[in-house]
Amino acid sequence: MKKVVSLCFIGALGVLLLMLVSSMPRMGDPGSPTNRRVVDRYLEKAEEETGTENVITGVILNYRGYDTMGEVTVIFTGLAAVLAVLGREKRGRVYAYPDRSPVRSSIIVRSAAGFLLPFIALFSLYTVLHGEISPGGGFQGGAVMAAGMFLFAAAFGLWKAGRTVPPRLRFAVEGAAPITFFLVGVAGLLGGGEFLAYMLPRVSAGLQPALRTWLTLLVEGGIGAGGAMIFISVLMALAREEVGGGQAA
Amino acid sequence: MGRLLDNYHYAVAAVLFCTGFYSVIMRPNIIKKIIGLNIMETSVFLLLVSLGWKEGGIAPIHAGGAEAASMVNPLPQALILTGIVVAVSTTAVALSLVILLYRQYGTLDVDRLMREEELEVPAAGPEGGEG
Amino acid sequence: MGAYRHFPILIITVPLVTAVLMPALSHRRERLCMPLAAAALSASTVLTFLLYRVIRPAADCFLSYRLGGWEPPWGIEIKVDFAGLFMLSVICSVSLLCLVYSRKYISKEVEPGKAFAYYSLFLLLSAAMLGFTATGDVFNMFVFMEILALSSYALVAVTGRRDAVRAAFKYLLMGAPSSIMVLLAIALLYSSTGSLNMAHLKELLAEGAYSRVVFASLVFMIMGFGVKAALFPLHGWLPDAHSIAPSPISAMLSGLVVEVAVFALLRLFFTVYGAASGAVSGTSEALGVTAAAGVLFGGVMAVLQKDFKMMIAYSTVSHIGYIALGISIMNEQALTGALYHLLDHGLAKGCFFLCAGAFIYERDYRRIEQLKGASRRMPLTCAAFAVAALSVIGIPPTSGFISKWYLIWGSVAGGKYLYAAVYLIGSILAATYCLRVIYYMFFLPPQPGTWEGGGEAPVLMLVPAWVLSLGTLLMGALSFVIIGRVQEAAGLLLR
Repeated sequence: MKKVVSLCFIGALGVLLLMLVSSMPRMGDPGSPTNRRVVDRYLEKAEEETGTENVITGVILNYRGYDTMGEVTVIFTGLAAVLAVLGREKRGRVYAYPDRSPVRSSIIVRSAAGFLLPFIALFSLYTVLHGEISPGGGFQGGAVMAAGMFLFAAAFGLWKAGRTVPPRLRFAVEGAAPITFFLVGVAGLLGGGEFLAYMLPRVSAGLQPALRTWLTLLVEGGIGAGGAMIFISVLMALAREEVGGGQAA
Repeated sequence: MGRLLDNYHYAVAAVLFCTGFYSVIMRPNIIKKIIGLNIMETSVFLLLVSLGWKEGGIAPIHAGGAEAASMVNPLPQALILTGIVVAVSTTAVALSLVILLYRQYGTLDVDRLMREEELEVPAAGPEGGEG
Repeated sequence: MGAYRHFPILIITVPLVTAVLMPALSHRRERLCMPLAAAALSASTVLTFLLYRVIRPAADCFLSYRLGGWEPPWGIEIKVDFAGLFMLSVICSVSLLCLVYSRKYISKEVEPGKAFAYYSLFLLLSAAMLGFTATGDVFNMFVFMEILALSSYALVAVTGRRDAVRAAFKYLLMGAPSSIMVLLAIALLYSSTGSLNMAHLKELLAEGAYSRVVFASLVFMIMGFGVKAALFPLHGWLPDAHSIAPSPISAMLSGLVVEVAVFALLRLFFTVYGAASGAVSGTSEALGVTAAAGVLFGGVMAVLQKDFKMMIAYSTVSHIGYIALGISIMNEQALTGALYHLLDHGLAKGCFFLCAGAFIYERDYRRIEQLKGASRRMPLTCAAFAVAALSVIGIPPTSGFISKWYLIWGSVAGGKYLYAAVYLIGSILAATYCLRVIYYMFFLPPQPGTWEGGGEAPVLMLVPAWVLSLGTLLMGALSFVIIGRVQEAAGLLLR
């Protein structure tokens, strides 16, 4: 009975949504509200106003930088939530392999991973640093870095991964992204502008573009490093299973 | 129904939204519910990113003397980047809760989970229910 | 304006960044977490109250902060008007009190290695509510709503008990789809206007283009925020989550989180869509009917409960209905009452859960019948509860009386006598469930085997509860100072 009602509800929702679709502005129309309003300034002035060739990066870090600050806080919240639910790994305990298989990963997997890892790390750095020109940016770079660490953990085991990125390093860097945002924001305040302003009125005009580039890079780097660390910590919290005396709550 | 075919991206998004919603409310398995959540989220991202599309549009990157007039709207792309991060974080929190739920109740079936009193704690603890 | 200009962003970001510092402290210095969190929230509170010197309920008297110096609609704007400031001050003060209360309670309920995560999430929750209330951009609102949502799911589960984890998961299972609905609503709104800034949206929506899409977006907004606010048919997650969470978190969730979601509805109705728009007039009737049903349902369920915190949780469902009903009536008096009820609900429900927490902390008593004769051993806790109960019932001179007065006045002035009757029945139900507990506490002898030995709750837990319950008295007795301004702010929203 409940099933029928739910199915009818979803069917009705689908029909209503499709009716809605047919009354929305035509897709791809240059005259639709989304392509007509607000967007001109981003497309025409972003390069000059934000100093980035990639307009999306300009929107993410400059025009809507505050959203991005919120976004990095969301992943930090995700980490804090995971830790609040599952707890941090305890020092001195041994981690099992994620699949709890008694068979260790084969030499092929290990050597292939070992071969790939430096390139993954290099590519992630490139993505972070080159984000203002090509598609990319701090977050994507951080995600690539974290994916590299996941590969490492899958091939060599969580235990080794947890030693390679020691907890103390992770504790220090996890909050990096919101903190760099805050520092750059406060720099904006001190420089006589608004929070998260990259062009600071109190700095001489000649230095401003250079300062803006450095602040942008700082934020990108913070997002990359913080994001990567958060992903790794989440992996450690989710995948770890303490060997000996599992905690039956 | 005039624009339904023109707006086919939106239509696909609507269908995906319902698919995800179906999975969230109908599937008893928790993991499938979480997958459903992600499908719902993706459908909204598809809708958003299609909103910024323009016929014959190019990526909004100024390198190589690209013309501003033909670029697509960068704003929705920036928005869904935020949205994706939100989705990832929600999934991480959901999965951590699932791990704890499975350790404590030994089941991933929502109907069994919500019938609390009859359930017994799995004796084996986290090791219970191998595979 | 001078330095005041920068206050809104500092109010939000100082707790936010302090929360982020917590993991660095988790290593050996976990004891520093709570004082640091208290310092950050106190700073926000002080800055918020200082803002009353510059913000008045007048049409041109608000603080608009342009992040990064980009003017709206290209950049994000934080906009604090009087109604927003009113909400901000409730959020700041109640969360500061709950934080102080947490110190003792959490050291008992949460294992030591997780305390840093608790305080971090607590600060994130408060900061997210502040950012959510203050923002003038709909997408930014979504981002802060997600911080708020994720931190509250985890805080419900922080004790790691079986039922707590399940309640948190139930909360997530309803909360996450509702977030997606809000995002969908934002996408629809964006598709029909091309902007995300609230003030700009109001101008664009006044043109009336794509009215079906706009209407659908408001419906999705109401459904999305309705789950977060536990509006009547969507309240399923609330009783479990609110009654099982650690008590300071219950107080935050019940006193603030659901309220902030109702405040978002108020913002959407009046600041984004506009009170006169077709979308709002089409949905407000439906909102009113469901809210009225919620008032009655929550009240009846609260009377039927045996668990003390469960009773308070259902009382929250009822009182959220009060506020939503006040919004749906759409006149100045009812809106004044709704705004004032936001204050009253934050104080009184906060106090209720803190008192319930004191009983759990001292004795582990959760059922109402175990509270028989409680006043013999814990008179101060019982008295704090009794004072707050007066406000929940709506007896003068408490703030609950003032807000209900305006709500009923508004519904009569709007010609909705049925809603006035709903308010009165809601009050009678409130009297039933509150007076029963008071009668048990003060006039019945203890059950055999209970209330032997032991004493009052610790000072750190009594002080926050008493500040909240005295707050309801004070805000009622001194309402003549504030209510005029609130009424002007309500009038401004309607314009």
